[in-house]
Amino acid sequence: MVLYRNFGMMDRKKILDEGLLEKYLLDELNTSDRSLVEHAIKNDKEVKKKFSELEEDFEKMAFENAIIPPSTVKAELKTKLEETKVRQLSYRPLLVAASISILFLASSIWMYTEWQKTQKEFEVLQNQTTDLKERLNSLEENYVLTNTRLKTIDGENIIPLLLKGNELSPNSRAIAYINHEKKIVVVNSEGLPKLPEDKTYQMWSDVNGEMIDMGVLKTSEKLITLKYIDKAESLNITIEPEGGNDHPTVENLISYVTL
Amino acid sequence: MANHLNDNELIRQLSNKDKNALYAIYDKYSGALYGVILRMCRNEAAAQDLLQETFIKIWQKIDSYDSTKGKFYTWAYRIAKNTTLNALRKPELLIQSEDLSVHTNKTEEEILPDYTELSGAIKKLEPHHQEAISLVYFRGYTHREAYIEMGVPLGTFKSYIRQALNLLRDSYKNELIVFWFCIEILA
Repeated sequence: MVLYRNFGMMDRKKILDEGLLEKYLLDELNTSDRSLVEHAIKNDKEVKKKFSELEEDFEKMAFENAIIPPSTVKAELKTKLEETKVRQLSYRPLLVAASISILFLASSIWMYTEWQKTQKEFEVLQNQTTDLKERLNSLEENYVLTNTRLKTIDGENIIPLLLKGNELSPNSRAIAYINHEKKIVVVNSEGLPKLPEDKTYQMWSDVNGEMIDMGVLKTSEKLITLKYIDKAESLNITIEPEGGNDHPTVENLISYVTL
Repeated sequence: MANHLNDNELIRQLSNKDKNALYAIYDKYSGALYGVILRMCRNEAAAQDLLQETFIKIWQKIDSYDSTKGKFYTWAYRIAKNTTLNALRKPELLIQSEDLSVHTNKTEEEILPDYTELSGAIKKLEPHHQEAISLVYFRGYTHREAYIEMGVPLGTFKSYIRQALNLLRDSYKNELIVFWFCIEILA
């Protein structure tokens, strides 16, 4: 209604005088003139009447000058319309199939990459598990070792003996743990000073004045199990050539303890 | 009026993709549209292809037809005209039609009058009025192209069109009066 009021005499005059209706009919107008004319046709009775007359005359003239096309044109038009229908029908399943296979391909690729990812994650996990197992094994071994060592040096029947160094090696300290029941001797030789490579510490048992070899003491090990000698009266440590000696070098006695 | 209602019904069926409605519309309008297309491109084979293309476009675009903006024929005419103008702009068709006009000069002389000659009310107009109407309504010329073609100023051309349309209006009105007069006498 507002638009109708805005449409004034000037617009009607312009449309009728400038022949805009003819140009509109022939599709020759620009967008703004076209919408002006369309608005006028809808809302202005006089313009509407003029345009209807023009259309009627135009159509009559066209019918008066009609040329009948050959019947082949209609036949071809029919074939073309049927053809597009047939094509539509035959293309549709193809399109559906194509889109399904695209979907299938896409999901396959996605699943493959997911599978690859999972595979990698699984491998990492497997490696971690192996690593953990190994660590657990070594911990278990360590535990067993420590436990047995503890058992050998800590118990009711175990006697710990401290061997202090004499004037030859005043800083030497060694501890011997003796279990007479199980006949075990274990020595902690950590407190013995390091020797040149061609020398070693060796321990001996004194039985009725005879020195019997118990074994070599390595300074690199914490607890060394030595031979248990029955009826030993004392334990003695000497410095001997590398690999140990058959008889003790008495001048090199650095420590002893009586039992 | 009955004819008009009939058109509306056909167009409604056409919107529902009823092919028989398209064939009925073809039977009614193909002659009028072919008359325009053939006069525009002056090549029967090309005109027949373009007529077919026009009806395929009518079939596809029928939903964009708005009856409040004008009659069905006006809408269909614009499709036919634009389809033909687009085809004429393509170089291959231009070359072909030029070639044809060179090769078939003799047959063209025989057939061309059929293409261009107009009949009915327009025939009763003065030659310059006939030509002005023919150029814009049947030959696809815009007003700006047509006045140059006729070799008259634009203002003169516009008044030719105006006068011609008024004369056509009077002629058709008189026809209607004569028609009613006949009906009255027969009754």
